[in-house]
Amino acid sequence: MTGNSPTIVVVDDSPTVKALFERGIIDCQIELKVFRSADNAWTYLEAISPALLFLNIKMPGKDGLTFLKELRHLPLHKETSVVMISSKDYAQDRSVAEKLGALEFITKPMPIQVITDVIHKYLQPTKTT
Amino acid sequence: MSDAYLRFWGVRGSYSAPFESHLGVGGNTSCVEVRVDDQIVICDAGTGIIPLGNELMAQSKIRNLLVILTHYHWDHICGLPFFVPAFVPDWNIDFFGPGQCDDEIKEHVSAQMQAPYFPVGTETWLANVNYLKPTKNQEIAQGPISFEYHNVHHPGTTYGYRIKAMGKSILYISDNECSYLGKSIDRKSDELTEEEKQLYEEMKKEEHLAEIEMVKDADILIHDAQYTPEDYEKKRGWGHSCYIDTVNIAIEAGVKELYLYHHDPNYDDDAMEKIHQHSLSIIEEKNSSLKCFIAREGLIVDLS
Repeated sequence: MTGNSPTIVVVDDSPTVKALFERGIIDCQIELKVFRSADNAWTYLEAISPALLFLNIKMPGKDGLTFLKELRHLPLHKETSVVMISSKDYAQDRSVAEKLGALEFITKPMPIQVITDVIHKYLQPTKTT
Repeated sequence: MSDAYLRFWGVRGSYSAPFESHLGVGGNTSCVEVRVDDQIVICDAGTGIIPLGNELMAQSKIRNLLVILTHYHWDHICGLPFFVPAFVPDWNIDFFGPGQCDDEIKEHVSAQMQAPYFPVGTETWLANVNYLKPTKNQEIAQGPISFEYHNVHHPGTTYGYRIKAMGKSILYISDNECSYLGKSIDRKSDELTEEEKQLYEEMKKEEHLAEIEMVKDADILIHDAQYTPEDYEKKRGWGHSCYIDTVNIAIEAGVKELYLYHHDPNYDDDAMEKIHQHSLSIIEEKNSSLKCFIAREGLIVDLS
């Protein structure tokens, strides 16, 4: 890992999602930060805009869409690249996410390759050798 | 001795079903009253809140109400334009529901009462109406009744409520699609590698444990049970549960009393009776002590 590696933030209460992302970025120079809830992520995200932010929707505490709405009120996150990652495969959630500027809506369960592909689509992470 | 009870005023989901063949169970949409002495919390404001409002107008003792909304789909708010206490000056009505802040809750509650959909807006409400702010710990108390709220599996931000009254724990979860992720994982199993299958088996367990935890040890669980297995297959992803899943989760979570709720408006009284009988047979097969009822309009459950 280098100091220049882009940072990806994942906010998801599932420990398995953390494992999926760790596996998905294994060949990339990416710094991964995972938070289990919106509240836990808030202090970090108040100060830093990651290269890519993955948000689950249904979580204990604040849900991912409400959290994204709050983040968008911060000047720092007006343009932050956000990808929703959720089991809630509902048109209403997709529509709200789109209005809030989410780039993609990935539904669980997704193959690990989907995570890797999305990261490559929006970032150009250096491959580890 | 407290006068404490809950009463079902509306038990249907999706839309009202005022058909003769359905009236044994009831035709109004979601609304449950929880009352402890002079304090009333109203869960959801479907058409069931209209007769509740009319009954409240016939007495003079109670003037304070708290309406908690699971979400803003029409079947949960469409009674509000006809809820008479809201239009009368000496009433105090607090609203709570999903939203970032009190203004957002107000916006959602008011949205249906606008031209061209309705002739008058909420500015014609003469009651003292307040919208409660979300709290950091997701807990709100109103006299002897308190509640916590949490996210459930339904389109948009939707809450389930754990209400505490008279030392009892009452779970009101009107709209929730049980085990959705687990079923998605099973359906997509062929598309996953062995490594992914193993990881997603863990995720299924996480979802299951979270569902059990949400309703664990409830004295009373009022839960979405909208579909038969056959209809669930056709309407998977609509945000509602098959009653069999609801019953199984209630058994596993050690719930004492389950009220199957948010009935599909296509199901008449005979269909509902079949659902009830099958639910009872599942409970018997599993040697569970769970008591299971069909939520029926007018049913009163003693809380004292």
